[in-house]
Amino acid sequence: MPLDDEAVAAIYREHGPMLRRVVWRATSDANRVEDIVQEVILRVWRQAPEVDNLRAYLITTARHLIVDQHRASTRRPQQTALVDLPVDDADLDRALDQVLVEEALGRLQPAHRDVVRCLYYERLSIAETSTRLGTPEGTVKSRAYYAVRHLRAILDEMGVTR
Amino acid sequence: MTDESDGLHVLLGGYLLGGLSDADHSAFTEHLRTCAACQAELGQVSGLPRLLALAGPAGGPHLSPDAEGDAAAAPSVSDDEELPRLLSAVARRRQTRRRWFTAVAAAAAAVLFGAGLWLGPRLTAPPELPTTHVVAAPAPGSSVRVDVALVTRGWGTQLDLDCEDMPTSGQLTLYVIDRKGGSTAAASWRGTPTGYSQLTGATALRPNEIQRLEIRDGKGQVLASATT
Ligand SMILES: [Zn+2]
Repeated sequence: MPLDDEAVAAIYREHGPMLRRVVWRATSDANRVEDIVQEVILRVWRQAPEVDNLRAYLITTARHLIVDQHRASTRRPQQTALVDLPVDDADLDRALDQVLVEEALGRLQPAHRDVVRCLYYERLSIAETSTRLGTPEGTVKSRAYYAVRHLRAILDEMGVTR
Repeated sequence: MTDESDGLHVLLGGYLLGGLSDADHSAFTEHLRTCAACQAELGQVSGLPRLLALAGPAGGPHLSPDAEGDAAAAPSVSDDEELPRLLSAVARRRQTRRRWFTAVAAAAAAVLFGAGLWLGPRLTAPPELPTTHVVAAPAPGSSVRVDVALVTRGWGTQLDLDCEDMPTSGQLTLYVIDRKGGSTAAASWRGTPTGYSQLTGATALRPNEIQRLEIRDGKGQVLASATT
C-alpha cells in the first residue's frame, strides 16, 4: 500500500468517527455526512500541512467546507440546501462549538464527566454530588479541579480556544 | 500552611463549575486575592462555563445519552465499505500533489488523544513487515498500559507504542536494552493530559538483539518493562 494510502486510512480511522459526529450535528443531513467527511480528509491530505494538531486542523477544514457549501447552496437556490443549517457564520460557529464541547465532554474520563454533570449541569452542591456519586467530598473537589484542567486541555487540542 | 493552601488551590474546580459551600467559596475568594498561581489558572479556564453552557441544558449526548437519544448519533458507517472509496479518490488525485509521508500522520498522532480509535501500529507498518507485539508489564506501584509492536526494518527495529494511563506530565523515555545489558534511548515524549499517547521509536538493534524494553519517567523510574 503506498504511504499516502496508509496515512489517509490512519487518519480516516482515527478521526472519521469524530468528524462524522461533528458534521452530522452541524448539518443534520445524513446523506451528505460521509461525503463531507471524506472531502475534509482529502483536502487535508492534498494540503499536507505541517501541523502539530491534526485534529484541530481537520475540524477547521470541516468548518470551512460546511460554510462554503452553505454559501454555494444559498447562491443556487434550486439546489437542495443543507437541512437545518444555521443562517450565518456566527450561528454556524456556535453550532460547531456546541458539538465540539460535547465531543470534549465525551473525552473526559468518566469520573470527571460525572462531576461536571452533577456540579455544572445539575447544579448540585459538592456535598450533594458526594452523596450522589458515593465519593468523599475531598475527592469531588479534586476531581472538579482536574476535570476543569483536562477539559481546557482537550478543547485547546481541538482548536476551541475561547 | 502549605497543606492548607494546597487544599485551597483545588477549590478552583468547584469555584468554576459551581457547588462550593459558602465557607469554601469565601475561603477560595480570599485565597484568590493573593495567590498568583490560581489567578493565572483561573485566567486560562475562565471561558469554560460559557462553553459548557453551549452544550446545555444537559451537556449533550455523552453526559445524558437518554436526553438526546438517536438524534445525537451520527449515521453509522462501515469503514470497510467507505475506506476504499476514499482511497480511490486519493489515487485519482495523487499526481497533483507532493507525497505525504506516513511520518506526518504518525507524528501527529503521537500528540493526539483517543487511543481507542487509533490503529496506528497496524496501519503505519505495511502488513508484510514482520511484526511482534508485546505488552509491557507495569512496574510495582504503576498502572500504565503499554503495547509495543516491534517491526523489523532494513535499518533495525521500529517500535510502535500505544500507551494508556500514563503520567499526565513530565518527560517519558523508551529505553532499549540489548543482550549485553547496554541501554539506549529509542524515543522520548511528554505526558499528555489524558494519559494517552501513541508514538513510534527506532533502534538500530534487530528484534532478536533486543533483550528488554523499558519506559521510564523523568526521574529515571521504570514505569513498565517488556522482555522480548
Ligand atoms: Zn492558589
